[in-house]
Amino acid sequence: MIKFEHVGLRYGVGPEVLSDINFSLDPGSFHFLSGPSGAGKTSLLSLLYLGQRPTRGLMTMFDQDIGPMSREELKEIRQRIGVVFQDFRLLNHMSAFDNIALPLRISGTPEKEVKDNVMELMEWVGLGDHQHMLPHTMSGGQQQRIAVARAVITRPRLLLADEPTGNLDDEIGLRLMNLFDQLNHMGTTVLIASHNMPLMEKFKHHKRLILDKGEVKLLEQKRSVKEKIQDIF
Amino acid sequence: MLKFNRKNNFLGVSHERQRYDLPLDKDGGAIFLKILIVLMTFLAILALSGSYVLSAMKDRWSSGLDNKASIEISAQNIEGGVLTSEQIQESTNNVFQFVKSHPAVENVVIMQDEDIAALIAPWIGDNIAFDQIPMPGIMTVNFKKNVEFDSATFEQNLKTISPQARLDTHESWLKDVLRFTGALKFAAILVTTLIGLITFISIAGAVKTRMEVYHEELELLHLMGAADNYIAEQLQRYIFIACLQAAVIGAVIGIVILCLIHITSGQMNMGLLPDFSLSGGQKISFLLLPLLIAFLGAITARHTVLRVLRQMP
Repeated sequence: MIKFEHVGLRYGVGPEVLSDINFSLDPGSFHFLSGPSGAGKTSLLSLLYLGQRPTRGLMTMFDQDIGPMSREELKEIRQRIGVVFQDFRLLNHMSAFDNIALPLRISGTPEKEVKDNVMELMEWVGLGDHQHMLPHTMSGGQQQRIAVARAVITRPRLLLADEPTGNLDDEIGLRLMNLFDQLNHMGTTVLIASHNMPLMEKFKHHKRLILDKGEVKLLEQKRSVKEKIQDIF
Repeated sequence: MLKFNRKNNFLGVSHERQRYDLPLDKDGGAIFLKILIVLMTFLAILALSGSYVLSAMKDRWSSGLDNKASIEISAQNIEGGVLTSEQIQESTNNVFQFVKSHPAVENVVIMQDEDIAALIAPWIGDNIAFDQIPMPGIMTVNFKKNVEFDSATFEQNLKTISPQARLDTHESWLKDVLRFTGALKFAAILVTTLIGLITFISIAGAVKTRMEVYHEELELLHLMGAADNYIAEQLQRYIFIACLQAAVIGAVIGIVILCLIHITSGQMNMGLLPDFSLSGGQKISFLLLPLLIAFLGAITARHTVLRVLRQMP
């Protein structure tokens, strides 16, 4: 579904922040992306959510080469991607409800459907009674849950998350990871950039991509036979 | 209830239609744009009314003097001697008969001595015994429309009948006055155009600034897959409403000032200037000006937004 072949990225005339990136994500897969600070995880994610165009190489998303795509075609691709930004990027003048509803309204969903879906998801992330609150009056954890809810409200085909559990306590973090897992089981491809080793250990049945020195390597996490059997049943 | 909501949607005041994804309606920076548009609309109303008044003056002067001329039988002969009243009267009558029978003349009227006396009274006073002063003979001539005639030949014929006769078709000074009024009118239109241009450059600048201020929010909408039109429509709606509000205030102030000028000029009884009243079309143009400004402002905003958005990947 997603394929990077010899992809490079540089900002302006600066040095390449990503050079010769090669990897692919199968449809419905779940990957963690980790690597040392400054390795370019955020830049790689920005390529994936089409915030940047690669300066070289071939980038295929949803089996389409994005190189020759028009702005209109890119817009349609973006609507299939949900993103949880590291700094949340919530709109502070809008209520929690409106922030979550934004992707649905952008895609022209009828207001009745918007209301039902947003309320359901807000209840699910434990913010059912916070719909009128403005993000800047909420705690970091609550803001993060809004950011996650906004990313998944459209049931995207690709979910990208940059440190989505960074500000959350273990219980909420686990709950969100379960939400990502559920979405993944429904067919959403998930890529989560994270430093959270204990969390990755808990979900070690998922693959890990390591970004280091401009290269992406796939790391299969070791799993016990018991865990594999648990997965099957 | 449904009907009410539909009406509200149409008016653009329902909750959904009022919603901006960018914090535009919470932005105090727009006040400067609104003040500018109030001022520009006010100046545009004044400049526009100035051009209307100048048009009216030009029309009045040219239509008042078109196909008209005056003939003066001077009280002095060519050698500088003063003619007697009887000689002037005789010459005037002869000229009158010739002019009256001319095929290009519609009618001719001899001005009475009392009227001439009233005309020159401001210069020489009204305590003078006019019957002792030889008064020139003056007649006003209306020429037929669409009948060509040669004024030089006509004057030559007049001089054959009376060497003291002089034809004044007002052309010499009227041409200068009309040229001057035309220049003033052009200046008024130029000022109106400049005001419009400055307004729209300011709107484009304000929109660009908003887009720089809200770059992160714009980028977020863009990354969520918002079409350029989706974003542009919000900014153009915001600018349309802001421009309309400001332009209505500017137009009201301008119209109030014009009404005051109208009242004042009525009290001054300025005979040379035309009556300071507007035609129906001109009044409508004043009422439509705020709408026009809002409409053009929205187009400017849309164009600016789309141009900035196209720079995003």
